Amino acid sequence: MKRRSPYPIVRFILLALYLLGAIFPLYWIFITSLKGPKEIYTMPLQYLPSKASLASYRKLFSFSNFSTYFRNSLVITLISSLLAMAVSIFSGFSLSRYPVKRTKGILQLVLYFTQTIPTFIIMVPIFTMFTKLGWVDRTGALMLVYVATVVAFSTIMSKGFFDRIPTSLEEAARIDGCSMFQSLWRVILPITRPGMAAIFCFAFINIWNELFLAVMLLMSNDKMTVPVALNSFISKAGISWDVMSAGIVIALLPTMIVFGFGQRYIVAGLTEGSVKG
Amino acid sequence: MMEKNHYRWMLVPALLFLLLFIYIPVARGAVMAFQHYNLFDLSTLRFNGLDNFKAVITDKNISFAQILLNTVVWLFGSLIFQFVLGFGLALLLRKPFAGRGLYTAFVFYGWALSGFAIGLTWAWLFNGQAGLVNDLLIRIGILKQPIGFLSNPRLAMMSVIIPNIWYGVPFFGIMLLAALQSVPNELYEAAVLDGAGSVRKFVSVTVPYIKPTIVSTILLRTMWIVNFPDLIYAMTNGGPVNRTNILATQMINKVFKEYDYGQGSAIGVIIMVLLFVYAILYLKIVEDSKEELL
Amino acid sequence: MKNRITVLFVLVLVLLLLSPVFAAGTKEAAGPVNLTFVETITSPSRTAQIMELIAKYEARNPNVKINLVSPPYEQSDNKLTLMLNSNQELDIIEVRDHTVKQFVNNKKLVDLTPYLAAWDEGDDLLPLTIAAANTVDDTPYLLPQFFYVKGLFVRTDVLAKYGFTTMPKTTDELYAMSKAITGKDRNQYGFGFRGKGSSFKISDILILSDVPNISADNIYQTEDGRFAFSTPEARKAVAAYVDLYKHAVPSDGVNWGFSEQVNAFISGSTPFLVQDPDTVGMVADALDPELYTVIPMPIGASGKTYLDYGFAGLGIPTTSKHPDLAWDFISFMINAENNADFCKVYGPLPVHTSTYANDPFFSSGVYKSWETEMSDPDNYVFVKYPLDSPKYPGWAQVQEQTMQSLLLGNTTVDQAIKSWEDYWK
Repeated sequence: MKRRSPYPIVRFILLALYLLGAIFPLYWIFITSLKGPKEIYTMPLQYLPSKASLASYRKLFSFSNFSTYFRNSLVITLISSLLAMAVSIFSGFSLSRYPVKRTKGILQLVLYFTQTIPTFIIMVPIFTMFTKLGWVDRTGALMLVYVATVVAFSTIMSKGFFDRIPTSLEEAARIDGCSMFQSLWRVILPITRPGMAAIFCFAFINIWNELFLAVMLLMSNDKMTVPVALNSFISKAGISWDVMSAGIVIALLPTMIVFGFGQRYIVAGLTEGSVKG
Repeated sequence: MMEKNHYRWMLVPALLFLLLFIYIPVARGAVMAFQHYNLFDLSTLRFNGLDNFKAVITDKNISFAQILLNTVVWLFGSLIFQFVLGFGLALLLRKPFAGRGLYTAFVFYGWALSGFAIGLTWAWLFNGQAGLVNDLLIRIGILKQPIGFLSNPRLAMMSVIIPNIWYGVPFFGIMLLAALQSVPNELYEAAVLDGAGSVRKFVSVTVPYIKPTIVSTILLRTMWIVNFPDLIYAMTNGGPVNRTNILATQMINKVFKEYDYGQGSAIGVIIMVLLFVYAILYLKIVEDSKEELL
Repeated sequence: MKNRITVLFVLVLVLLLLSPVFAAGTKEAAGPVNLTFVETITSPSRTAQIMELIAKYEARNPNVKINLVSPPYEQSDNKLTLMLNSNQELDIIEVRDHTVKQFVNNKKLVDLTPYLAAWDEGDDLLPLTIAAANTVDDTPYLLPQFFYVKGLFVRTDVLAKYGFTTMPKTTDELYAMSKAITGKDRNQYGFGFRGKGSSFKISDILILSDVPNISADNIYQTEDGRFAFSTPEARKAVAAYVDLYKHAVPSDGVNWGFSEQVNAFISGSTPFLVQDPDTVGMVADALDPELYTVIPMPIGASGKTYLDYGFAGLGIPTTSKHPDLAWDFISFMINAENNADFCKVYGPLPVHTSTYANDPFFSSGVYKSWETEMSDPDNYVFVKYPLDSPKYPGWAQVQEQTMQSLLLGNTTVDQAIKSWEDYWK
């Protein structure tokens, strides 16, 4: 494995290949969304639409009411991600500084264990539990579940960030008379902002794309989220690729934007923050 | 030093979320694994000990051994290439170049897609008649006739692993890039002073420094890959002939198609136990990193 | 000071946890009566039609409001099952042929006998409709709304291209034509195969129609009680089906689901497609009408064709607090006029005798083929799947595996048949 290619040309070629490999499925979906319904299944394959048209997008927003679902997803994902980020700031910090080694180890095991859990095994129990509580069709309930699904990994990441920050900083703040809360708020957090942005990105992307819990816990058609809407383009009569491809492209935009801004922080954040060494 | 109590309080929110919405449901779900819980007729609900496990493992029609084999192939086939390609990408991105920010946004976007959308897209790309992959291969001249990628038992698993690799490379790319950039320059300078060339620097400085990241990222990725049925489900539904059926997709079949929550949960328990045991063994093997992780 | 902050913090968190309870819900008690209607064969265009009908009903009945719940098709049956079993208050639900037994087992459906008896359109229902309604325990637990019966879609232009001007009438003719048209190097194939996802619904018609005396109560049994696949005729037919795959279908076909099957038809690479009438709309959107037609299913070697009447309809859950009102809505949705209108746009076959007698739509154009199938009991016999059996839910996966294995040459016809026989024992 080359550590740093001595030949810039080779590097360029490799980078180009990676980009090509990454882009081509998106390209296919994108041009499909620009073809009219009669052009989608032609043989031989058309790599460029003969007449680019926004008909699929128009259909997506008018007929399929996509803007409602888009709004729902934005609200749910933003709130859940922010909440997860907030919670994991505290839990990550605590875990990082926890004085008792044994408990610390057990807690970490508990967190890692959550990653072994398949979503399906909790679907029915959560459904039953929420029905008993009367929390069916409540967006708030779904948000709580989403926070729970990402909080474990967020805490792990958060702990990593805090590990990189020497305790001397908060100790100095304490000596200066700050309470623990204040020292956390005023001294530590500003430094870990990139790390928090990274956590927010991870949470956002995972929650934005979540399908099964949303299907199970929401009822009203106007509360549905984007993945549910995309899934509803699959009916007994097959997949409506025109709206589906348009939907995939639109659904990708927020995550790409969040990711685009965030990846600067993720890389920087992970650099300053998490990765232990 | 802060009082232990404060730390405890700070953990409460996260633990509360986990307890209420993850651990208690998991416990309930695990209980179902020991019950005859079939929605076809709930009046037959009763405890049946290990019957569900026995039924799943000894199923004459759907070979459990095949499912386990598939899961292992799926896991390692995806993981190895995700890691290698991700690492390669991270190395290429290490030195800044013009437009790197924009480039990374595009080359990493795959991870922002849902597994389900990826599965549907690639199923179409691999379509034996109208798929882009076949079309391109024929045009380039590698193939003369289109191949049924997803219907050929020998090619199907490879054909579902490829999109999974495509999906996982960004994650490794990001994590490893960050790790590579976190190596302090002083270490490299010291190595150079000692007379180390490029390869030596890589082997003696870079790799050891980022090893803990590699270890923890791989473990997490392992768990996520095993619990990722969306892609396979969208592409082949476990077929043809059970050849792409992994534990997680068989669980979906039991739950959604057969309404058998007992057996479905049994498979879920099997997944959790296997992953847990694997994690413990894995951490033992990378013993020295265990300290850093915990 | 520190303690106060942490206490405040925990309090905020607890409030946050409780907030969903205070969050606005969808059920408001005061005002009109709210009925919840759950559909399961969800598709965006069909949902739009249902909303129109709901609007029509609400205009006539201002004291009723109907909330439509439309889970995505792939998870809908499952979600409905979960909702029913956790006793959520629902009023009208879409019941399908493969879910009715399960709902009745769990005592979730209201017996509709008194309602049907008092209904003025009750006598207008097809005998098939009444049979479908009484699927379980000879009691009407649902009022069927749609019939899904297979027809044979044909690309007349592709057939003409290869010199075929007559339509295949028997299964043998269909197979022969498919194989004759196939030219692998031309990327032309003959038959729109179904390899996964309830593939047995299609293979069963073609295979079992060669077997004489199939029981109308259970397609997998002959009238004298033998397992249908164990007969010599069935054995020959299974072999012929495998042969069809080898010579008229691309090897990919073993993995074809609904989409691939239909797309192959639309792109012309397979001119024959066995499908339900709700596919008509999709095909009409993508192809010009002079390129295709629909003909009745080919007759098997037994002299008949055994057709399964897939159906879906509406039922009233036992948890409903307004069953009478729910029935009022159901009888509105499924009255002859609305049912006919709905079916014309959505595609499947309506359930009233008067529709077929009075409305030329369902006896002309592509629907002529289905009309033929529905009105010729000598040649087209309707049979039932063993929906009652607890083994039915698991059958799809088992059959798919063994059939795929058979098609790929990993097992023999006799072994496959034996494993099916063992399954149903």
